[in-house]
Amino acid sequence: MDVDPRHFNQVAINDNDIHNIVLSYLVHNCYKETVESFVASTGTKQPADCIEDMEKRKRIFQCAVEGNAQKAIELTEELAPDLVEKNKDLHFDLLSLHFVELVCAKKCTEALEFAQNKLTPFGKVEKYVTKLEDFMALLAYKEPEKSPMFHLLSFEYRQQVADSLNRAVLEHSNLPNYSAMERLIQQTTVVRQCMSEDNAKNGNPPFSLNDFLRS
Amino acid sequence: MEGSPRLGSKGLIRKHEFVRIIIQCLLSIGYEKSASCLELESGISCKSDDFQMLESQISSGNWDGCVDTLNTISDLTDDTRAAALFLVFKQCLLESLKCGDDKLALAILQKEVSTLHVDRGKVHKLARSILSSKEMEQSKIDDIAVCELRKKLLQELEKLLPPPITLPENRLEHLVETAVLSQIDSCMYHNLSDAVSLYADHFCGRDQIPTETVQILTEHKNEVWFVQFSNNGEYLASSSSDCTAIIWKVLEDSRVALQHTLRSHQKPVSFLAWSPDDSKLLTCGNVEVVKLWDVETGTCKHTFGDLGFIVSSCAWFPDSKRLVCGSSDPEKGIYMWDCDGNELKAWRGMRMPKILDLAVTPDGENLISIFSDKEIRILNVGTNAERVVSEDDSITSLSISGDSKFFIVNLNSQEIHMWDVAGEWEKPLKFTGHKQSKYVIRSCFGGLNSTFIASGSENSQVYIWNRRNSKPIEVLRGHSMTVKCVSWNHKRPQMLASASDDHTIRIWGSSRPNKIQPQELS
Repeated sequence: MDVDPRHFNQVAINDNDIHNIVLSYLVHNCYKETVESFVASTGTKQPADCIEDMEKRKRIFQCAVEGNAQKAIELTEELAPDLVEKNKDLHFDLLSLHFVELVCAKKCTEALEFAQNKLTPFGKVEKYVTKLEDFMALLAYKEPEKSPMFHLLSFEYRQQVADSLNRAVLEHSNLPNYSAMERLIQQTTVVRQCMSEDNAKNGNPPFSLNDFLRS
Repeated sequence: MEGSPRLGSKGLIRKHEFVRIIIQCLLSIGYEKSASCLELESGISCKSDDFQMLESQISSGNWDGCVDTLNTISDLTDDTRAAALFLVFKQCLLESLKCGDDKLALAILQKEVSTLHVDRGKVHKLARSILSSKEMEQSKIDDIAVCELRKKLLQELEKLLPPPITLPENRLEHLVETAVLSQIDSCMYHNLSDAVSLYADHFCGRDQIPTETVQILTEHKNEVWFVQFSNNGEYLASSSSDCTAIIWKVLEDSRVALQHTLRSHQKPVSFLAWSPDDSKLLTCGNVEVVKLWDVETGTCKHTFGDLGFIVSSCAWFPDSKRLVCGSSDPEKGIYMWDCDGNELKAWRGMRMPKILDLAVTPDGENLISIFSDKEIRILNVGTNAERVVSEDDSITSLSISGDSKFFIVNLNSQEIHMWDVAGEWEKPLKFTGHKQSKYVIRSCFGGLNSTFIASGSENSQVYIWNRRNSKPIEVLRGHSMTVKCVSWNHKRPQMLASASDDHTIRIWGSSRPNKIQPQELS
């Protein structure tokens, strides 16, 4: 397809659209103060309960990221009853966060008991068996952070779980579980990659988002 | 043990080792009293000191002692030592769990097991099993179960630890069997799968293979070009330049009786093929058509080909439903048909040379064909991958072994070449001694495990080789003209048939026939 990428120069953009995209990103990630400030500056409209909803989600997110899974579950139950129970993957991930917390606190016997009570019921389903094995392996090491499973104790992992929890809560409230900003970037990347593959014979390098943003 | 007395004419065997494996053998056969008697009398015990120590420590649950013993045994590789320690710690850990002592179990896991040089996967699996072990435990300590598990641990250690701490299972029987197998290997006439006597070195005589004429069949009115036994060994089929084929029934005493005469061809019948289930027979007329016969009734069910397609040979697939025919006309190719004559597949075209012979391996995986005299093409039917083996001289015929692994070809240079189907051999095994320069002469595999090769010859004799030797072990005299084809009965290793231009078929048997037991041979 011989389309000149610079055609984009001729597409007209509506200011409102840009505001909505930025807002959707801020709301998705619960940046309450920034949202209030942005709304005030641009005059964009927001639904009434939006701020409150963000506050609640923010607290849930923070609990999860800190590894306080029990509190996160509690708060989620308040905001979206039955959500955790219905979403097995999420439930397992959250419980495993608590398990990891106990292991880090060197409360190994407690961790074992917790695993026996809460995690073994999942062991009946094939896909959880490997996950369970990975978590149980942490018990084998006096210094779990030096074990082959150290990634399970990392901040990145907790963030990942918190993120899926956030998306599940949004979905539950019939809101989109992705922000428009995310989707746009994903789509653009795919389109650019396709186009650069087509033009590869012209010797153009493959598309890189980083390079694009810096240019 | 230095200075231990030696046994055997060459002084290679240590007496204490020999006695020890005898004791092991007595125990495994069930003679415990004799075994302990021998232990007392000789002062040698079957179990090594180290192993006896381990045994008592494990049965009394003395884990620390056990670990010490394992650590002090010399001559262990680090890997074996680590694996053995892992097994011991695992048992110790599981027993702590049974007693409800989670703390101790976890401590063992973290302090001892984790630091061992064993595969991480094993450690993680053990951690996982802690969970399942707790699930299953009802908190009652079952003494018997614990005993059983400790015995199992000992068995596993016995398999893991090397000699001289332990002995490999059934060591004496193994050594004797090795000696016997080696004797069988050098036995040129070995043809029956009975047990071999230990009283004398094994040595078969000529009487194990067919060497005497048992029967002469004269029903054909002209040269007999082809014979073949059915796959189940119960029938023999023959074809002749008198334009007929005959189906014979094999009798109890390894003679045959005429069953059906198949008349329908207008030309000499040059080739036959039994379906793998032996219910059907294909006959090829020379520069004519192929006919399909029902074996039970002796009636012709179908005719394939026509004047435009001259079939030179045919073969069946293992399902007895599909057959392939090759044409001796260049560009006609190879066709696959079903029993009703429907064409299923074809390999044809400009570059298809004439096919002299073809065969399908009994497992149905490969189609082997002889192209234009000197090329052997091995086609994998499933993957369509092809391999070509080139010979320097003209090939006249092809025969495949029962286990689908080897095939032999007769060459005009008076050699028989044996190749492997898989293609790992760079050179063929060669067999010589017979005469062949003008005619199509056929050979076949035969005997126990297809150890033998038999071939016809232009000097009216039948030649038999053992695959291990390129010179014949036997030459059968009796026919008065060229022997074109031979067939060895798959189920009776001492029954061979030969077809000759002298109009007769001869059935050969051993000079001292054994009790006929149909056997499973490959």
